[in-house]
Amino acid sequence: MEPAQATGINPRERAGGPLIRLEGIHKWFGNLHVIKGVDLDLQQRDVVVVIGPSGGGKSTLLRCVSLLEEPTLGHVWFEDRDITDIRADLNEVRTHIGMVFQAYNLFPHMTAERNVTLALEKVLKLPSDEAHDRAMDQLARVGMGHKAAAFPGQLSGGQQQRVAIARALAMQPKVMLFDEVTSALDPELVGEVLEVMIRLAGEGMTMMVVTHEMGFAREVGTRMLFLDDGRVGEEGEPKEMFRSPKGDRLRQFLEKVL
Amino acid sequence: MAITESPTVPSDVAPDVRGPTAPLPAAILVLGIASLVIIAAGIVFSQVNYALSDRVLTRNCIDEEISPEDNGAVGVCNIVEALQDPVTSGALYLGIGLGAVALVLGAATYRRMDSKRRRDQAITGAVLGSQGILLAVFVLWFRSASPGLFAKHFLNFADLEGYWGSFVRAATKTLTLAFGGELGGIMIGLVLGVLTLSSRRVVRAPARIYINFFRGTPLIWQLITGYFMLLFGFGIRISTFVVAILIFALNTGAYAAEVFRAGIQSIERGQMEAARSMGMSYLQAMRYAIVPQAVRRVIPPLMNEFVILIKDTALVSVLGLTLADSDIFSLAREGQSATFNSTFFTVAAIAYLAVTLPLIGLVNAAERRLRSGLVGIAGAGG
Repeated sequence: MEPAQATGINPRERAGGPLIRLEGIHKWFGNLHVIKGVDLDLQQRDVVVVIGPSGGGKSTLLRCVSLLEEPTLGHVWFEDRDITDIRADLNEVRTHIGMVFQAYNLFPHMTAERNVTLALEKVLKLPSDEAHDRAMDQLARVGMGHKAAAFPGQLSGGQQQRVAIARALAMQPKVMLFDEVTSALDPELVGEVLEVMIRLAGEGMTMMVVTHEMGFAREVGTRMLFLDDGRVGEEGEPKEMFRSPKGDRLRQFLEKVL
Repeated sequence: MAITESPTVPSDVAPDVRGPTAPLPAAILVLGIASLVIIAAGIVFSQVNYALSDRVLTRNCIDEEISPEDNGAVGVCNIVEALQDPVTSGALYLGIGLGAVALVLGAATYRRMDSKRRRDQAITGAVLGSQGILLAVFVLWFRSASPGLFAKHFLNFADLEGYWGSFVRAATKTLTLAFGGELGGIMIGLVLGVLTLSSRRVVRAPARIYINFFRGTPLIWQLITGYFMLLFGFGIRISTFVVAILIFALNTGAYAAEVFRAGIQSIERGQMEAARSMGMSYLQAMRYAIVPQAVRRVIPPLMNEFVILIKDTALVSVLGLTLADSDIFSLAREGQSATFNSTFFTVAAIAYLAVTLPLIGLVNAAERRLRSGLVGIAGAGG
């Protein structure tokens, strides 16, 4: 934040420059080398789709962005702050990075509405009526306004996932991370969640999406990353990559999943 | 036993080799029931018969040093005496015989029954028969030894007159000890439980040492040593009763810590991650997301600990409570040493059961509710 303040520019308003920059990210779990040096810039309004074989490190890479996993080596920059710096206020940073999980991870002891308002009140310190209004807006945005009083156990997987998206959106994040959010859903429920995500991308939300939904990757992604064995195997414009994969690994992968 | 019916089978199917069917399983069931009923009836008959006849102190009872003044013991000795009735003997031996037949038939044929209902009948009959045998053998054995002597010491309620009020007061003392200990233990345990989950060894280690020490030494040793340590070591002069509560709390804290640790660990990792990903601090995530869920899961095991503690409070008797502070077991000991009548211990057992049985029922209900998965919904409704 120092250099930006020196020039008198509020870093939050700064145009240009990546929103998120990953620099030489490595991650070991014990002796297991999961991420083997990944660099990535995420610009405003980017929809970066990460595909690749399972065990390739896709989720781990995504979790490194919000530092749910701490990279063993390398730096993560958010706007112009090195958030891998031990002095970074991760709690503050994470309010700007929305995250949606494969297993929804809604709080089962709270209503859908309370799931959304909790962090608004406890983290952003919004008064409860304002939190309520914001929660109802976001729930309506994902088509869950009528289920605000329901507990997660009373909702289908697709409905839970949409509440989870509303919960993340209510924080008004600058970027949304999606970690295989449709993988745990019954096939007929995938559509309703993808629909929300497509709409979000259309509204200009910056997104990083780990997914197995190749249709979504091709149609919505502005950039695609093929992560294979902890490295970026290929990177580019999704339609182009689907049409003419350069490497054998991507070709083989696409043959298997398409 | 004749095989009266077999299911109609097409001729091209292999012959039915499933063996005996219809009447047999019902017969086994009837035999088993008959065995138990005859034995029970024989016992009841002897008692009623004896009650209706002259009730004098028999030779046997006098031989066992029971005097006519031992009101209760005379009654019990008579109960035992009544069991010598020849009708009862006949009923017992007949019951054993019927039970044995049911057991043998049932065990031999239940696998070949042609429907689940019949198989269940055969199995139930065999089990009831074996229970009849066990009951009859037990009664035969019991009446052949010196049950009068046992009865004189453990079922002689005459000396307890004047103590009933004390037992009620002692029960409240026992509950106070257990409740105080549990409450303090839960507070200690919650803190220790969270400490054991720390990623830092310097934080974990002292908590682990505490827990392992209190789990690894006998409670009776903790009571005695703790009492004298407070008294002589620290010069703290407080009533034995309060010391006991303190030590129960310290001890329960170690067990409660493990319960809380397990409860918190049982919450899916994603819950913590979801909370943290929205910018909550570790403590906020614990407070709003993890602990409220963990608390529901630890209620049954904590109640279990409470039941255990109620019984463990009996150990305070080694510290010698004042008469006014006596818990159930201390009171029983005092009464027994004053009268040489161990019936005080029998009453103590009944007093403990009166407190623990409802609690055990509650634990089971709580566990059922938790397993049914309704807790997440209903519990948060308030």
